[in-house]
Amino acid sequence: MYWLSGGFVFRRVVSPFHRLDPRVKLLVSIEFFVLSLLVPTVPAIALILFAILLVSAVAKSLRRIGRTIAFSGFFAAFIFAVNFLFGLGLFNAILYSFRFLAIISSTSLFFVTTSPDELEQIMKWMRVPRDVVFAFVTAVRFIPVVMLDAFQIMDAQKSRGLEFEKGNVVKRVRNMVPILIPLVVNSVIRSGELAEAMESRAYGSTPKPTSLYVMRMRWYDVAVALAGLLLLFVLTLYIYHFVSFGV
Amino acid sequence: MAIVGENGAGKTTLVRHANGLLKPTKGTVLVDGVDTRETTTATLSRKVGIAFQNPDHQLFSDSVENEVSFALRNFGFPQELISKRLDWALNFFGLEQYRKSSPLVLSGGEKKRLTLACILAWDPEVVVLDEPTVGQDSLQKEKLAQVFRMLQSTGKTIVIVSHDVEFLWPIQPRLLVMSGGKLVADGEISRIMEDRELLEGARVTQPQLLRLYSGLKSRPASPFLDVADARTWVGRGAG
Repeated sequence: MYWLSGGFVFRRVVSPFHRLDPRVKLLVSIEFFVLSLLVPTVPAIALILFAILLVSAVAKSLRRIGRTIAFSGFFAAFIFAVNFLFGLGLFNAILYSFRFLAIISSTSLFFVTTSPDELEQIMKWMRVPRDVVFAFVTAVRFIPVVMLDAFQIMDAQKSRGLEFEKGNVVKRVRNMVPILIPLVVNSVIRSGELAEAMESRAYGSTPKPTSLYVMRMRWYDVAVALAGLLLLFVLTLYIYHFVSFGV
Repeated sequence: MAIVGENGAGKTTLVRHANGLLKPTKGTVLVDGVDTRETTTATLSRKVGIAFQNPDHQLFSDSVENEVSFALRNFGFPQELISKRLDWALNFFGLEQYRKSSPLVLSGGEKKRLTLACILAWDPEVVVLDEPTVGQDSLQKEKLAQVFRMLQSTGKTIVIVSHDVEFLWPIQPRLLVMSGGKLVADGEISRIMEDRELLEGARVTQPQLLRLYSGLKSRPASPFLDVADARTWVGRGAG
């Protein structure tokens, strides 16, 4: 579980991709997302998946995105099996399962390479209300903390003889109670402390606070954004003009 | 027995092997002759009870008595024995008056004692305590020390993982010093605490009582073990 969580949690890495303006990173992710929905052939979706992996390699996050793919591989196999068994054909079954992998990994790419601070800046730039931004960013930021809590709680209860894998479904669900209660209690306590800490640091005292970091597009941000948009445009045209539908 | 060492020295990682929460990737860990990879944490926990640092990571029941009997029910103790052990544990840790209260309303020190009660209730042969003194005032620490002495006299193996040398010194345990994932010393606390170079490497400070003892010109044959000892001696010298 902890191993898997790495696929969606930001980690500070020095790479050309990490240095990009967060808006550009979001754009790249969205482009991959849109493209994987648009392309109608197996080679094309395989190419997109490959492109995502290539960008992950540039971002030095191939292993983390790989985890995401390994995890969603299970669901992709399920999608493949259902589509194939219900007579949509081998071609579509492969296309849909690959499409699923491409969508997941493009999203994962964004979250792995964008820090909570950058996420905050993007949301502010989109004029999302400040409290909403704060709540969202805090939630994202606390995922690893809460996960760590969960593992410590599980260790403590296992040391008291709790066996998760034992018994029928009802018993297994009941086994979660000793984990969930301390987890929720701890989270509530922590959010209370966070609120007090924020208040003592004058959160909300000015309606429009200034920011320490200001997003600025540099030439390579613009270059990557333009290249991405151009590619999206060309591929969309190509798909709609030269590929016949109804396969 | 006590384990000390700098943050990240591997103390907690080591004790997590004692009941199979962690399994070795290389080599073998034997608990009472049993390879931890070949059995479950639940089975090993019956022998090795670990009390973790943060009580909030384990308290979940609606009452203190259910909290204590949780592990006993997991281990399949008969009801009669459960109530006997429960009475003993609550009594021993002075929690009798909270029997029906929610564990969450207890104070920090009481929660800590409750977690110890939860572990000792099933009478494991080995008791491991991860940082038992964190957040405890001096009175609570003194009580804890008394508990350890009492347990020691019953012949149990007690492993304390701690940074708190002042707390460990009067108990005079066998001391294991860890640094950078390795065991760097193992022996009597009185001898190891003399080795300043070793202590510095593992970022352990000398107990104040020992420092006072070393600084005295006229001193008794062995170092002071508690403040009362030291006070008597120093008072006598002054008088």
